[in-house]
Amino acid sequence: MSEMSSDKTTKTDRVGVYICYCGGNISDHVDVEAVRNRVEKMPGVAVARTEMFMCSDPGQEMIIEDLKSGKIDRVVVASCAPSLHETTFRDAIKRAGSNPFIYEHANIREQVSWVHHGDTATNKATVLIASATAKAKRLKPLDPIRVEAKKHTTIIGGGVAGIKTALDIAQTGIEVTLIEKSGILGGQLNHLDRLAPSGEKASDILQEFLDQIVNYKNITIHTNCIIENVTGYVGNFRLDVVTKSDNKKFNIDTGAIVMATGSVSYTPYDGEYGFGRHEQVIVLKDLIHILKENKSSGSVLEVNGKPIKNMVMIHCVGSRQIPGIHKPKENGKLNEYCSRTCCAAMLNASNQIRENFPGTGIYEMYRDIRTYGRGQEALYTQASKNKVVFMRYEADALPEITPSPLPDYPLQVKIKDSLTFNEEMDVPVDLVVLATGIEPDDVSGLASMMKLPIGTDQFLLEVHPKLRPVEFPITGVFLAGTCQAPMDAGEACNAAGAAAVKASALLRKGYIELDPFVAQVDIDKCQGHGACVEACLKEGALELIETTIEGKIHKKARVTAALCLGCGACAAVCPEKAIDINGWALKQYEDMVDAIVSDGFAV
Amino acid sequence: MVPTNTKNFDTLVVGGGIAGLQTALDLGDQGYSVAVVEKDASIGGKMIRLSKVFPTLDCASCITTPKMSAVAHHENITLFTYCTLNSLDHDNSGEDSGNKFPGINAPGVKATGLKALITQNPRYVDPIKCIGCRQCEYVCPVHVPDMEQGGLSATKVICIPFSNAIPQLPMMDIENCMLCGQCEKACPTNAIDYFQKPERFIITAKTAVITTGFDLLPVRDNVQYGNAKIPNVIDSLQMERLLAPHGPYNRVLRPSDGMEPDSIAYVQCAGSRDKSTGVSYCSRVCCMYAIKQAMLLSGSLPLADIIIYYMDIRAFGKGYEQFYQNAKAMGIEFIKAKVARIDEGENGQAQVRYELQDGSGIATADHDLVILSMGMIPAWNPGAICPVSKDSDKFITSIKPKISPVLTDMEGVFVAGAAAGPKDIVDTITESGCAAMEAAKFMSKRLVEN
Repeated sequence: MSEMSSDKTTKTDRVGVYICYCGGNISDHVDVEAVRNRVEKMPGVAVARTEMFMCSDPGQEMIIEDLKSGKIDRVVVASCAPSLHETTFRDAIKRAGSNPFIYEHANIREQVSWVHHGDTATNKATVLIASATAKAKRLKPLDPIRVEAKKHTTIIGGGVAGIKTALDIAQTGIEVTLIEKSGILGGQLNHLDRLAPSGEKASDILQEFLDQIVNYKNITIHTNCIIENVTGYVGNFRLDVVTKSDNKKFNIDTGAIVMATGSVSYTPYDGEYGFGRHEQVIVLKDLIHILKENKSSGSVLEVNGKPIKNMVMIHCVGSRQIPGIHKPKENGKLNEYCSRTCCAAMLNASNQIRENFPGTGIYEMYRDIRTYGRGQEALYTQASKNKVVFMRYEADALPEITPSPLPDYPLQVKIKDSLTFNEEMDVPVDLVVLATGIEPDDVSGLASMMKLPIGTDQFLLEVHPKLRPVEFPITGVFLAGTCQAPMDAGEACNAAGAAAVKASALLRKGYIELDPFVAQVDIDKCQGHGACVEACLKEGALELIETTIEGKIHKKARVTAALCLGCGACAAVCPEKAIDINGWALKQYEDMVDAIVSDGFAV
Repeated sequence: MVPTNTKNFDTLVVGGGIAGLQTALDLGDQGYSVAVVEKDASIGGKMIRLSKVFPTLDCASCITTPKMSAVAHHENITLFTYCTLNSLDHDNSGEDSGNKFPGINAPGVKATGLKALITQNPRYVDPIKCIGCRQCEYVCPVHVPDMEQGGLSATKVICIPFSNAIPQLPMMDIENCMLCGQCEKACPTNAIDYFQKPERFIITAKTAVITTGFDLLPVRDNVQYGNAKIPNVIDSLQMERLLAPHGPYNRVLRPSDGMEPDSIAYVQCAGSRDKSTGVSYCSRVCCMYAIKQAMLLSGSLPLADIIIYYMDIRAFGKGYEQFYQNAKAMGIEFIKAKVARIDEGENGQAQVRYELQDGSGIATADHDLVILSMGMIPAWNPGAICPVSKDSDKFITSIKPKISPVLTDMEGVFVAGAAAGPKDIVDTITESGCAAMEAAKFMSKRLVEN
C-alpha cells in the first residue's frame, strides 16, 4: 500500500451542505429552512442550500455548479439513508469533475423525520449535519480499489430460474457453472403438468431449456453437489464443492454468484384439514400428479380406483397465516405471505377436471381469489362457467374436515360461507385437495457462509425491491426466482433475466471497482506489533510482512484492500495509531463527536 | 417529406417510464448504445407522478428521480422526449444493411435490423438555447388546467411540466397561447420560437424494447359511476396527486369545495374484471395502491373513515399480504361488495350503492370523497405503426410467457412492463432487466453461436 501522504491536519473550509425536503418526507417534520440557516453559520460551511428533491436533476445540478465554480470542495447531502442515494450523489460529483469521495451523507429522513417530530426533529437534523460537516472537512480524494474479476459466474440451483440465468449469462460470453444439489435439473417444474393459465406443458418448457443448456460449451453443470464453503470477494470468489455420491471435493473460482435455490411446498402438519389422518386429504401437487398420470376417460375422475363424485379444494393452506389463528411451525414461524401461484393453479386443475370429468363436482373454498396475472382472470370466469362452486371462508372460521355421516361419502367439510350470508354448510366429499403454499428451500447454511440476509418471511432478502431487486448487499452476489418470493415460472424467468443482466454488466470489463474505505498503514509509524492482525475480522485482509529498511529487517502490517471490510477493528487496537481507515479516520470521528456535543448548533 | 436525418443505435426503447428507464440503464451498463423515445415532455412515466409506492412506502420520486437522472447522464443513452413514433418495422431496404447491422445477420436470423420514423414535436422553445430558468413560465399570463396534477390545479401555457422533469425544458401549449409575446421578451437567451416546426428523423437499431406502459380507463366512459360528472368522484391517479408532496393543494382536500373529507371510499374493480367496460382482466395493482392510499390518508386525516369496497383483495407480491393485514389493523374498513352505481348525493357527497353480503339487501352510503380504482389499459396501440401483435386484452402479445415473457412475435423486438399487461413497479423493474438481457443476447448471438 502507498503511504499516507496527506497532512492529517488538513481541513477544508469550503463544505457545501445540501438539504433535501424529500417532498415533505423530511420537511413535514424538520424545519428545513431553519436547519439551513443554522448550518450556513457553521464553521467551514461555504454554502448551504435546500431543494424539494435533492436527488432530482435540478438538485444534482446545483451541487455540480457549486463544485465547478470552486465555491466548495467538499459535499454534504442531508437526505434519506445513504443506501438509497450515496451512489447518485457520488456520480453527480464525478460529473462535476471532482473526486467522488469528497462526499458525506447525513441521514435526516430515516434517522430523523420518520422517527421524530417538531423541534426535536429540527435539532437532531442540525446536529447530524454538523457532525457530517465536521467529518467532511477532513475527507480527502480517494481512488477506488480496482480488482481483477474472473469472467465466470456460478449459479446455485438448477431449477427454471437457475437454468435461465445460466443461459442468459453464458450468451454474453461469460463462463458459467451451474450447481444443483439433486440429481436432475428443472426443480419444481418436474412436479408440474399443465401450467396456468395457458396450459403449456411443464415438461415441454423444461425440455426446451435443457436442449439449450446441454449444448452450451461455456456452461458446466454439476448435479448432486453440495457447497461446503464460500470464500473470497466480488470478482474472486472460491466455492468448495463436494459431490454427494463419492465425496469428491473440488473448487470453483468465480467472479459472481447467483442464488437460484428455489422453493419447496408447504407440508401440512398432522391433522391440518385432516391431512395425514384421512387418505382422502391430499395436497395440490398430488392432484396435479394424478391428473398428469390419469388415462381414464369416464365421466367421473377416479383416484386410487375410487370415483370422485364431489371434491373440495381448500385455498391458502400454509399461506396468509395469521398470528393467533394459525398454528406456528416448530420454529415458531408463520407463513404470513400469499403464495401467489396457488389460486391460478387450483382453478386450472378445477377446469381440467370439470371439462374432462363432468360427473365430478368441485367446491372451491377460498379467502380471496387472486387471479392477478395475464390470462388468469379468464381461468376464474371459466371455472364459474364450468359450474365450480365457490365458497368463501374467513380466516377466523377455517373449514373443518370430519368423517361424513352419509354412507356414500368418507368425509365432509364444514364451512361458514360468507358468500351466502355466513350460512354453515356441510359438504360431503370423496376428496379434499389442499392448496399448499410455497416456502423457500432451506439455505440457511449458504446464507450464513455468504452473510446473505433473510427476511422475516424466511425468503432471501434483496437490497431493495425497486432499486436493486436482484442484488444482495454483498457485492457480486445476486438472487433470482422463488428463493426470493413466490413466483410462477414466467416471473422466475423474468427475475433470472434481471439477475443475469446485472451479473453480466458487473463482469464484462474484467475488473471491478470497490469503495476505497479500507485500512491504510502508516509505514513509518508501524512497529510491527501485530495487534491489528490479531484483531482483524477478515481472514487474509491484514498480515505482517518482513521488509528491509536501511539494511534492517522490520515487520510491517500490510492490507489486502479487496478483502478489507473497513471495520476499523485494527485502528482501535494499534498502540502507535499507525493504521487508520480511509474516509473514516479516527480524527474524523473525534471531530464528529465534538460537533455533536458542542452547544450552539441546535436551538 | 422524407427525413434524411438518421441516427444509429443498438437498441431503441419506446417509452421513458420506469420500464424504459430500467431497460435503458441495464443495456447502457452493458455497453450498448440506447435511444429512449418518450411521447411526453419529460421522462419518468406514471411512476414520477405517484405519491408513495407500496409495500415499502418509499416516495415515488425518491426511486424514480435518480433513475431518470442516471439515464439522462449515461454515456451510452440518448433521450428523445416529446416525440411521436410514426413507424417501427424491420428495415428490409438495406443494400448496405449487412454492414450496418452485423449482429443481426447471423445465420438463422432473418431480419436486417429495425427502422423507426420519429417526429420531434415542437415545444416552441429552442432546446439548445434554453437554460431552464423558467422566466417564461413566471411571466406567462394564461392559466390552464394542469394535467400533471390530474387537472385539479392550474399551470401556465408555457411551463416546465413538473419540478423534477427531465429535461428541464419548458414547452408551450400553443392551442391555449394568446401570443402575447411576454415569454419571448422575458427569455434571457432568445430561446422562444413561435415558428418551430415538427422535425422528422429516423432511428435505426438492432433491437427495440416496447415499454409504453398503461393508462387508466377514463371515468367519463363509465355510466354506472357517473361519467366523471359527479363532483368529488375522482380516479386513483388524481388521488395520487392529492397525496403527493407537491400536489395541487399540498394536502388532501376534496376538489369541489376544498373541504377536508371525513368519509372516503375506494371503489375497487372500477372497470376491471368487468366485461361491460371491455376490461375483463384484473388490473393487478389497484388493490395494493388503494390500500396504500388508504394508509397514507389515515396518516394525513387521522379522523377520517376510510372504506374499501372490493371483490377480492389481491395482495399477492412480496410483503403485500402483510401490508394488507397492517391496513386492516390500522382501522381501514374493507367491505366485500361490487359497487353497482354511484349517484350525486347532498352537500357535495357521492352516494355509493352496493349489495350487503349478510343478505340484508341493498345498501347505500354517502361519502365526502370517492376514489375509483380504474382499470389499466395499454397506453399505446401498435395499430398501423408497428406490426407487433397484441392479445385479446389489447396488450402486446408475449409469445413465450413462461420461458421469457418479454419476447414478442417480432424478431429483435421485446416488451416490458405494463405494455405487456398490468404490472406493479417491482415486477416491471425485474421484467425490464429481463428485456434488456434478451436484447443483449439477441445482439451477441453471433459472437457465441457455436
